Amino acid sequence: MRAMYLKLLILLALCLGLSSWSVSTFAQNLDASNLYKRSLAATCANCHGTDGQGVIDGGMPLINNLTSEQMLAQLKAFKSGAREGTIMPQLAKGYSDEQLEIIANQLGKKQ
Amino acid sequence: MDRRHFINHSAAALGLLAGFSGQAKASLQKAEILVIGGGYGGATAAKYLRLFSNNTVKVTLIEPNPTFISCPLSNLVVGGSRKLSELTSSYDMLSKRHGIKIIQDSVTSIDPDKKTVKLASGKTLHYDKAVISPGVTLMMNSIEGLAQANKAGVTLQAWKAGSETTALHQQIASMRDGGTFAISIPEAPYRCPPGPYERACQVANYLKQNKPRSKVLILDANQDVTSKGALFKRVWAEQYPGMIEYLPKHNVSAVDAKTKTIKFEIQEDLKAEVLNILPAMSAGEIAVKTGLANSNGRWVNVNFINFESTAQKDIHVLGDSIQVAYAMPKSGHMANQHAKVAAAAIVAELSGWEVNPAPVLTNTCYSFVNDKEVVHVASVHQYNAAEKTFKPAPGSGGVSPGPSTLEGVYAWGWAHNIWADSLG
Repeated sequence: MRAMYLKLLILLALCLGLSSWSVSTFAQNLDASNLYKRSLAATCANCHGTDGQGVIDGGMPLINNLTSEQMLAQLKAFKSGAREGTIMPQLAKGYSDEQLEIIANQLGKKQ
Repeated sequence: MDRRHFINHSAAALGLLAGFSGQAKASLQKAEILVIGGGYGGATAAKYLRLFSNNTVKVTLIEPNPTFISCPLSNLVVGGSRKLSELTSSYDMLSKRHGIKIIQDSVTSIDPDKKTVKLASGKTLHYDKAVISPGVTLMMNSIEGLAQANKAGVTLQAWKAGSETTALHQQIASMRDGGTFAISIPEAPYRCPPGPYERACQVANYLKQNKPRSKVLILDANQDVTSKGALFKRVWAEQYPGMIEYLPKHNVSAVDAKTKTIKFEIQEDLKAEVLNILPAMSAGEIAVKTGLANSNGRWVNVNFINFESTAQKDIHVLGDSIQVAYAMPKSGHMANQHAKVAAAAIVAELSGWEVNPAPVLTNTCYSFVNDKEVVHVASVHQYNAAEKTFKPAPGSGGVSPGPSTLEGVYAWGWAHNIWADSLG
């Protein structure tokens, strides 16, 4: 009786476990990927505000009026040297193109 | 078989399947996180632990001071062009907006085995994760006579913004025209590499307008100016000719409070009216006391992927207290960046996710060369998995071409935004 109960339990746990594990892993990966994107964009927050919401009239150019496409174009222009600036050309050169894309997607104005 | 047993058994089976160790681990919902120190590192960590966990994880911030006073920009208060109130922010938003419990107290000891923290008030708190950002300790005993000179009120450091900052301005304002202000710099690493040179500029800016026959003496234990060297030297020559004198390789060994004399390891003694003697620095006291300072007994070695101490599990250390990676400055901006990497890693770990294998840090540092013009240094640091450290990204970073008022505006923009990012 006990052995049968154990077998049943393991089988049940396996079914339950496998299904819920794969579902939750998928959800976790999405959340984990969001966390990664948020933490990468947070490297910009010191100067441009948490989640890109800069202090109004604080003295720093605001970026929250740009769409993701506009922001990415500016970041790439800073990186290539096409756009001049004080700090931004020096910082943009430190990020990979993929990282800049994630940042622009994360901080760009949502339509 | 009751329901609870079934759940327990299933959970164990699930744990096995998912490859968990089976050890009891605090989940994101149940974990207690204590953040010790509410400076640029600690305040940011507390806020971003809440943000990154979607306000799930419980965070308590322990800080002895009632308000946040910024060290960056405080040299403007030393020079008299700004007031300390302009650099002061409240901690209120961290509790009101982000649900962080704030305890105004100081930590007297940490027990890493029991995972408890003892407060000066006598209370004991438990933690699953401790995040400590205790700044620096000024090693008064590294210079003979300095502790006594401080006690007598002859010398002060003003290297932590607050009452000493305004007191140092008062000393300079009371100095006779024709007097000498001396600032001494310890061997690197120390908190805020360009800070002493910026301070020399701010004092000279004040003296130029108010006591033009006076002098500023920079006594540097280092071989040369440690940050923005060419820019500072140009400013000293162009804006403060004959007023600022820079003496490299001058390592202060002793100070005599009675005669206001500074003694060196090699060179002859010097005298000055106002003595701003900065001794060597180490990790904040609580880090040293807890046995975390495992780099020469002075700084805390951390695992750069999550800023966990290499000496103690579940204690993460941020900011000026750590043994820095190559070309990583001890700055407020950097402490804020450490905090975000640590917060994301802690949330990932408590959620059972892989920790970000490629974190990024930036640094931006503005120095005022007078009350309006500024020069900057900036850098980007990418994590190098093979070497397990942060490295400056090739081709990135740099300094200003020269001082400008535009960067003076940006410097204040930086300040307002980082204060909001850390505390708002």
